[in-house]
Amino acid sequence: MEDTGMIPVYICGIVALYAVLRVLTEKQTLRKLVFLNVMNFAITGLIVLSIPDIMSLFAGIAYFVGSTLESNAIASTYAGGVPNE
Amino acid sequence: MQEVCPMNEYIFALLALIAILGAVSVYFKRSPFDKLIGLAVMMGGAIPLIVMKGYIDVAILVAIIMPLTSIFILQATGRNSDDA
Repeated sequence: MEDTGMIPVYICGIVALYAVLRVLTEKQTLRKLVFLNVMNFAITGLIVLSIPDIMSLFAGIAYFVGSTLESNAIASTYAGGVPNE
Repeated sequence: MQEVCPMNEYIFALLALIAILGAVSVYFKRSPFDKLIGLAVMMGGAIPLIVMKGYIDVAILVAIIMPLTSIFILQATGRNSDDA
């Protein structure tokens, strides 16, 4: 390899691609959500490692909080949610 | 012209592949929950491309607005609203 600083980026990319393939091939929806969370971790790592700038940290924070909220909202609605009477 | 990001073309190709797989998953899945999961996968592939281009403020806004739209869709067509 030409640069050893690219190894964490490659690891995050491989984890993200594996999680996406597991999301596409799972049958049950709740098992899809587990690997969606794995993909969110890997994509957050890619965002933070991408640019040597302090603003990429805030972009990673915003993406992580938002994607975790979205995954939990989908899982809560799929599991039944708050019952309305 | 300075170098915007130290990424090479493999990471760009991988993120574009993730975004395309998410869009294909949205098209072919039947359940609306699977469609929302595919939408989340597609945006997970698209937001690092926006960051690597350099528009970080745009990426922050997209990352904040994207779950809000998903939550609004879930409140509109939830599971417990019509049948169960």
